[in-house]
Amino acid sequence: MTDANAPLVEAKTLGRNFPTRHGLLGRAQDVWAVRDVSLTVAKGETVGIVGESGCGKSTLGRMMMGLDSPTKGSMSFDGRDLSTLSSAEMRKLSRRMQMVFQDPFGSLDPRRTIGAQIADGLRTHNIVPGSEVKAEVARLLEQVGLPTSAAERRPHEFSGGQRQRIAVARALSTRPDFIVADEPVSALDVSIQAQVVNLLMDLRRDLDLAMLFISHDLHVVRHLCNRIVVMYLGRIVEEGPAEKVFGTPSHPYTRALLAATPSLHPRDPSEGDKVLKGELPSPANPPSGCPFRTRCPLAEEACAKGVPPLSPVGDGWRAACIKAAPVAEGVPA
Amino acid sequence: MKASTRKLILPGTIVALIVATVILAPVLPLQDTRGMDIPHRFAGPSAAHWLGQDEFGRDVLSRLIWGGRASLFIAVGSAVLAAIAGTTLGLLGGYFRGVVELFTVRAAEIILCLPPLLLALLVVTILGAGTWPLILALTILYTPNYARVVYAATQQVRGLDFVTAQRAMGTHPLKILVRTILPNVLPPLLVQMSLVVASAMVIESGLSFLGLGVVPPTPSWGLMIRAARGAMEVAPLLLVWPSLALAGTILTFNLLCDRLQSALDPRAVTAGGALWLRPRSREAKKPVTPVAAPAEAPLLEISDMSIAVHDMELVRRVSLTVRPGETVALVGESGSGKTLTGLAMTGLLPDTLRVTGGSAVYTTRDGTAVDLAKLDEEGIRKLRGDEISMVFQDAAASLNPVLRIGDQLGEAIQAHHQISGEALQKRIVDLLRHVGIPDPERRHRAYPHELSGGQRQRAMIALAVANSPRLLIADEPTTALDPTIQAQILQLFAQLKKDTPGMGMIFVTHDLAVVAEIADRVTVMYAGEVVEEGPVAEVFARPRHPYTAALISSVPESGAERLTAIPGTVPSPRNMPTGCRFAPRCGFATAECESRSPKAEHPAADRVTRCFRWENVT
Repeated sequence: MTDANAPLVEAKTLGRNFPTRHGLLGRAQDVWAVRDVSLTVAKGETVGIVGESGCGKSTLGRMMMGLDSPTKGSMSFDGRDLSTLSSAEMRKLSRRMQMVFQDPFGSLDPRRTIGAQIADGLRTHNIVPGSEVKAEVARLLEQVGLPTSAAERRPHEFSGGQRQRIAVARALSTRPDFIVADEPVSALDVSIQAQVVNLLMDLRRDLDLAMLFISHDLHVVRHLCNRIVVMYLGRIVEEGPAEKVFGTPSHPYTRALLAATPSLHPRDPSEGDKVLKGELPSPANPPSGCPFRTRCPLAEEACAKGVPPLSPVGDGWRAACIKAAPVAEGVPA
Repeated sequence: MKASTRKLILPGTIVALIVATVILAPVLPLQDTRGMDIPHRFAGPSAAHWLGQDEFGRDVLSRLIWGGRASLFIAVGSAVLAAIAGTTLGLLGGYFRGVVELFTVRAAEIILCLPPLLLALLVVTILGAGTWPLILALTILYTPNYARVVYAATQQVRGLDFVTAQRAMGTHPLKILVRTILPNVLPPLLVQMSLVVASAMVIESGLSFLGLGVVPPTPSWGLMIRAARGAMEVAPLLLVWPSLALAGTILTFNLLCDRLQSALDPRAVTAGGALWLRPRSREAKKPVTPVAAPAEAPLLEISDMSIAVHDMELVRRVSLTVRPGETVALVGESGSGKTLTGLAMTGLLPDTLRVTGGSAVYTTRDGTAVDLAKLDEEGIRKLRGDEISMVFQDAAASLNPVLRIGDQLGEAIQAHHQISGEALQKRIVDLLRHVGIPDPERRHRAYPHELSGGQRQRAMIALAVANSPRLLIADEPTTALDPTIQAQILQLFAQLKKDTPGMGMIFVTHDLAVVAEIADRVTVMYAGEVVEEGPVAEVFARPRHPYTAALISSVPESGAERLTAIPGTVPSPRNMPTGCRFAPRCGFATAECESRSPKAEHPAADRVTRCFRWENVT
């Protein structure tokens, strides 16, 4: 064990390349899903990753779980570099990191009972003696607010929200220190979403979990996370404390994301032209220089020169923009 | 017992009977299979020989049963052995890929290159004729089939989240294969099994027929068919018995495997079947005579409309009014009936659903009133696309992937207008430009997959507004899109509204924030009923139904420390509460709420709420 303040999970200049080939004889083309991402998560901290589809947030989550190996950079968990571990050591370490998936219908095995699936983790890692597995499954089900009778049933008998609770119970079964939640509430209805968000907040408080929360819903992320990372085209464009990043965003992309998020209290329609133009460029053919410059309202010639580094804007707050400055607008109420 | 398990009884019993008969052959009071009776050769069925006697006067029945013993043993034995070998190869190759795949699946595929009969001949020639060499030959022959099927199924399953979850949990890969992947690849495996048993029987009889399988005088179905063929003119019945046995057994095995497959699926299989087999709606829809609509009539007035499947009501007494130029948002959670209500307006309800009550009066362009709920298919087709059109959630699935965007648009326009050539082309390009697709002169030749998600949704909208409809129904059109793209599409809808002032819109969504951005009025649905209705700003500022209030406060926007979650889940249509449908989840519920359904109350002139205690809500 390292000292208490050291981050539990640390990613150093992570990069993941998915080379694709066009046609039978075409040359393989580099497609970087994640580039140059450095990130830490400490105990009891929830880091939110936001960005649009294709920005690499799910790939980053899988790499941080050790499910995918980075092409560049390194991942360490509790001071141990994941790439140096043997597969048996990795399996042992995976007790301490668990994942909750987006699709509550696809993340549970349709053919096995809920109890058996939750018990898998308990048995694999010998969390409790064999005779107590049943009681432990019941305890886990109660912890996520489901009746203990649920253990005998199969996934198709549950609604989306209940399945997501089951998935959370399964993730908790190995008593992890770190949880990656990949869009855990986006497939759920609003009222059910709130149940799952509350559950995750309670668990973080009670179990002192480190959590990586991947979502495109800015409201949920802001509600749940201490620190927020905004990604665009595989890179971090802004990172910092939640209230700073969403309160006074300093990167133009963060501002655009906030402005684009519909709100119960619509802004003045005259601001409607703040809608970001164009679409995400292909990661196979990213723009030169700053990746956001093709859609950026502030872009100028200097932006094409090179990728702007993440430079400090405030305490623990960084942004990758040559014009980065906190702006108090576009705040969802 | 589940219906799918019950269906196993018939084929299961027959298979059990067949198996029992051949296993019990030694103890059954059968005549000697080798006992010749030359004087009575080719004798027909009699009391002593139920199925007659063959060319040597041997009893056909006992030869059939003993022959089945040999044939079934070889066919089922080789099918099972090949299944074990092939499944192992397929699972390993499909899960680990790479080098493992090369040594398992690809290696097995070499066998596929050889003609099957030739391979069997080769093995049998090397090892000599007999039962075991034949089983070995057939096992080798069928292993690659299994390997390929299981390989494909494994590849499909291994990418699913529940397998990733097992990996994330640190489960040993071999355990994942056996415990998680194997049960999920069983269905295709069973189908393959039934095919292999059938085909192994045919090959066995073929090889025996050639004299390479079972050695005479031991009977087998193949040998019997061969012998009977020689005497076809004299005793055609001799050919019938083994052929019937062969065909009957194969069919029974196929049936058993099919039924087993559906019994193993934990999900209930929905009753489907061919369209013409489904029950027709009781009152066939008749053409309705249009009536002149009163002036100032709303564009669409749905009153007390119900939609049901069989006797289960999914939507109950829904009322909704859309005036020209107005956008009405239909909000609710999944299962609230909002999408069904939208679909009913275009006559696109799934076949098993019917509008069972109420009316949906639509005022057409020429001022006549038609009831969409009673209109026949012919009548609604004239309106659909022309007057009423629809935008779906998943543009990728709603556009035809093999037709160019421009051609699809052209088709939609030509369905209602006599226009072609240059004029049509110009109209298509204009439409695409109108919905904001860049470079429409070139993009109209693009296929749907060549467009991005946002562009596809724009193309979909172009398709919907191609004939300038008067009523546009948009079903979750922005749900699958990213925030910045969603903002663009919402802006497009706002622009369309401004450009076509008379167009009414029903915007079906579950996202309250989107409602606030786009709609004039909002109708909130819960469990198939309208619970609240009114102007958006008023409803959001002061909801008069506890469900609306709870929905609004469950949006994580308020900055509250803890979100207000609605306890419980939406009741299933089979199990609706007797009184107010929201009562079991409601914080305001009283005894009255649980016993009676609330009537529509009017807290203000243009607002409706279905709650006894609306005055206490806010």
